[in-house]
Amino acid sequence: MSRLPPVVIDNGTGYTKMGFAGNTDPQFVIPTVIGLPNQQSRYGIASKRGIEDLDFHIGDEATANSKSYNLNYPIRHGQIDNWDHMERYWEQSIFKYMRCEPEDHYFLLTEPPLNAPENREQMAEIFFESFNVQGLYIAVQAVLALAASWTAKGSQQTLTGTVIDSGDGVTHVIPVAEGYVLGSSIKHIPIAGRDITAFVQQLLRDHGETNIPPEDSLDIARRIKEQHSYTCHDMAKEFLKFDAEPVKYYKQFDAVNSINQQSYTIDVGYERFLAPEIFFNPELVSSNFLTPLPEVVDTCIQVSPIDTRRGLYSNIVLSGGSTMFKDFGKRLQRDIKRLVDGRVKKSEELSGGRLQAKPIDVNVVAHKKQRHAVWFGGSIMACTDQFYQFSHTKAEYEEYGPSICRHNRVFESLA
Amino acid sequence: MPAYHSTFNSIENVRVINGLPLLPLVTRTRGPAPYADPSMTRDAIDEALELFRPNSLFKNFEIKGNGDRLLIYIILFTSQCLNRLRPTTTQSEATKTLYSLAVANVVIPADATFPLHNMYPGVSDKSESDTLRQYLTQVRQEVAQRLVTLIYTGESVGPSKWWMSFQKRHFMGKSMA
Repeated sequence: MSRLPPVVIDNGTGYTKMGFAGNTDPQFVIPTVIGLPNQQSRYGIASKRGIEDLDFHIGDEATANSKSYNLNYPIRHGQIDNWDHMERYWEQSIFKYMRCEPEDHYFLLTEPPLNAPENREQMAEIFFESFNVQGLYIAVQAVLALAASWTAKGSQQTLTGTVIDSGDGVTHVIPVAEGYVLGSSIKHIPIAGRDITAFVQQLLRDHGETNIPPEDSLDIARRIKEQHSYTCHDMAKEFLKFDAEPVKYYKQFDAVNSINQQSYTIDVGYERFLAPEIFFNPELVSSNFLTPLPEVVDTCIQVSPIDTRRGLYSNIVLSGGSTMFKDFGKRLQRDIKRLVDGRVKKSEELSGGRLQAKPIDVNVVAHKKQRHAVWFGGSIMACTDQFYQFSHTKAEYEEYGPSICRHNRVFESLA
Repeated sequence: MPAYHSTFNSIENVRVINGLPLLPLVTRTRGPAPYADPSMTRDAIDEALELFRPNSLFKNFEIKGNGDRLLIYIILFTSQCLNRLRPTTTQSEATKTLYSLAVANVVIPADATFPLHNMYPGVSDKSESDTLRQYLTQVRQEVAQRLVTLIYTGESVGPSKWWMSFQKRHFMGKSMA
């Protein structure tokens, strides 16, 4: 009997990505927000019919109806904060968006690193009891991001590596060895997409782009960041390149006023390369966090167990929208390599030339699926035969209870 | 990667007053600066004007040598120059304004009004401080001249808006009044 494809749902703090396994991109990417009716609309049509519990919206519809519905964000800092809201969110995700019968599908859900096992039990309870799914597997986001990088050219296809996950709110550096997250070595950086957008916005203001209406300013900054930014080799030299070839480097951005529909143009200059630069020089925007990303990655690997370090250096994987800048991977690789080589050279000098270290291979993997890497990794994993072996089935759940979902076996490889 | 440092930090055989090295300059202005080797294509002022934009974005800077001290002085002065200009200032007006700024009230780091006064060693006698003041006047005039040619690119009547966007950025959070 052929099976229907498993459903992959990646609930992130900002956006939820969902779709069927085997696809290269999620079918739906919607904000993780749920709109519940507020006091005024309590006596609306829904209560007359006795269907108040169906009267809510998720995603973009919730934000569009934010006047009569209160917005709630069920996920905070990657973890589920309000289980009741989350259950209703899943309800509409499955029935209204994916439009599938949960009884006919296996489900793959994601969790952040260091998630408590109790949360997995709770997820299992909701999925097996409320939705009656066939089977469930809960995967760690970082591990799926590693799996997503297997499509990259020259990838080693291992589950050992360092994942740099940068979304809108925070950036995490997560070392993973043989499919297990090294929890004690995880590092966070308070710089991510939102800060880059704010920085671009400030730079635009500095060079006097006065024709941007204030209500559009954030959105324009975000679009300029997404369309025109790139990572430079050296900041000082980049300024000189702009002087030497202004036609090539300065860009124009056409925008339309959202209120009166008039079009206008904005000049785009140094923000093109300064935007991603804040990962490498956090000093540009922050006064209390000053450690550059390459240094954070290096310390993260240095505090990991010694026998995993070579593997972690040789497979540094990017994931999330804020790692999509052109040549971001190359710059990161160069800077980390410089730190590592410097340390190796120093220890060789200190040994008086008696020790010769084998050079450490530093490799940053960039690939085309970075933006929704976690979802894409889930989509790959759920296509393997192992997925069905490792998933917890409805029968097992009924036999043993939700505690079976505390542990999810790690996938070995793509068979 | 922190802020950029001067390449003149390691230069020897140069007279140092008040922590500032009297480096040779490629200039026609009169003053005590040693004559630069004609083959020299990039003197301390060229370097400082190149580093002005990247370094203005930084708040922290470690002084690694005397070259850096001169770099700081020139960057702070450049910032002061930009603040004297308006988007409508024409090139000839700018030349005049910046020339008068360059020759009037030349502050040396030993003066208490200099924002980083404490980071520089003092001067021993009045003749030294006079020499330094003359040297810095020369530096300032040269900076003003070169800056005007850099920021008037001919696209518009006023100075380049890309340079003017650095008006509000202060290197190390300091500015010369």
